[in-house]
Amino acid sequence: MNKRVSKVFLVDDHPLVREWLTTLLNHLADLQVCGEASGAEKALEGMRATQPDIAIIDLALPEGSGLALIKSIKAEFPGIAVVVLSMHDERFYAERAFRAGARGYVMKGESTSSIAAAIRDVLAGNLYLSPRMHTVFAERFAEGDLASLHAPVKKLSDRELEVFRLLGQGYETRRVAQSLNVSIKTVQAYCARIKEKLQLANASELLREAIRWNDAQSAG
Amino acid sequence: MTNWTRYLDRQSRPRMAVAAILLALCIGEFDYTTGTLISLSAFYLLPVSLAAWFVGTGFALFTAALCVAVWMAGNMVAGDASFASPFLIAWNGSVQFASFVVVVLVLVKLRNLNRELESRVRDRAAALTREIAERERLQHMLLEASEQEQRRIGQDLHDGLGQHLAGTAIAGQVLREKLERRQLQEASDAKKVVELIEEGVSLTRRSVKGLHPVDLTAEGLMLALEEFAATTTRLFDVNCCFICELPVLIHSAATAEHLFRIAQEGTRNAVQHGGARNIVIELNTLEEGHELRVEDDGSGIPSVPPATGGMGLRIMAHRARMIGASFRIANRAGGGTSVICQLPVAIEDRLAS
Repeated sequence: MNKRVSKVFLVDDHPLVREWLTTLLNHLADLQVCGEASGAEKALEGMRATQPDIAIIDLALPEGSGLALIKSIKAEFPGIAVVVLSMHDERFYAERAFRAGARGYVMKGESTSSIAAAIRDVLAGNLYLSPRMHTVFAERFAEGDLASLHAPVKKLSDRELEVFRLLGQGYETRRVAQSLNVSIKTVQAYCARIKEKLQLANASELLREAIRWNDAQSAG
Repeated sequence: MTNWTRYLDRQSRPRMAVAAILLALCIGEFDYTTGTLISLSAFYLLPVSLAAWFVGTGFALFTAALCVAVWMAGNMVAGDASFASPFLIAWNGSVQFASFVVVVLVLVKLRNLNRELESRVRDRAAALTREIAERERLQHMLLEASEQEQRRIGQDLHDGLGQHLAGTAIAGQVLREKLERRQLQEASDAKKVVELIEEGVSLTRRSVKGLHPVDLTAEGLMLALEEFAATTTRLFDVNCCFICELPVLIHSAATAEHLFRIAQEGTRNAVQHGGARNIVIELNTLEEGHELRVEDDGSGIPSVPPATGGMGLRIMAHRARMIGASFRIANRAGGGTSVICQLPVAIEDRLAS
């Protein structure tokens, strides 16, 4: 293995985590910590100076959220891969982190021994997820949830698509009803049909799907 | 006070003054037509009393004088023999007037006492209302403070202890790798230590979840209830499901947390006291607002509430009141309990803005 050493940048507001993470990674032949920061502002400055290959980011930062930082990194340094290392529950935050541009998600204190593996995986161009999240994502895919990103939305009628679009824009159900000039019962009927067509289990999945679709629309 | 006196009290003073004068004149006219043999002098007390009670002392004395004048004029025109001498006129008039004055003074005194009493009752009622409001506010603050404290402890656990343990786990991992590199057997002990610390992190996470269950986003309540239903099913060997047809976004974190706690308490009652097998937590959007329902197939609410218990019910009702929601708990027709909490749309909009 005569690969070049990859530069890692750490962003975490907890000094103990930064210190030991540095020790852990510097002991590995192929990784070298090139800089660290406790907040978003300093992180971007540091990355400009050190040009790392990969950044390890905590989602809870004293100033600004980690998700916003990921988006800034993606905007300014598209070449830097991002792995999230956070106390936050991956079931709620992994998807958001991936949507913001992260390529890996490791829960702090869950699988300490796999941090290095996650970094190497992401450096190799793969996505890194815990086995549990692999299952969750795969299940969603099997249920047609991820697949629905593309084709199945076409199955929706114009009116259903309108409801779906408004939900994705963060409209309250009541406001959806108001802006389409229909009753809540009618919106409920539309939602039931959307859930059936897109094979979504419940309202929160419907909402997540609508937001994701909306994000994808505005991004593309 | 009877209804008609309250009605008269509401009339304006000039209107009552005119009524008193008209009444005096009417009685005078009647007095004149009935002749002098039948004395109607006591009837003049009516306009005098009206004036004293509803208008004022000065006007009441004027009315008294007017009544005496009308009464004497009537008798004089009717040609009463007793009005032959000016002395008798003055005497009879004065006696009549004096008796009216006494009545006026007594009535005015009585009226003032009555008004004072009424205003005192009003003051006391207002003070009581203020006191009740103050007590509600204190209860609110107490609950809020205890919840804030919980959130703070949760935050501390999450950001302090959790992060510290996570850092320690990484330190342990460093040690493990060093030992492994030297191919020492102690590496497996180090591995064990890392796993123990990781268990500590997961315990911390679970405590945080208990202290601060609802994520601070608008869809947090849906996610929290979904997870709560799954956890309840797993831990208590019951079938607890969460039904939510339409996305429900609650923009106030405090409101979301109260609704979650109501659902939690309702479910706990169903499991612990009702012996329920099936529990349904529902979050609905209605025309008039959002509705949270917890329904079970347990034994229902006991007809005699436990002497020391019932705290949970009261706190649920209190939480509902605090967020401006209605709260109802009842036995279901087919057995079991239903807890219904409705959050009117107006209140939610106010909180959202």
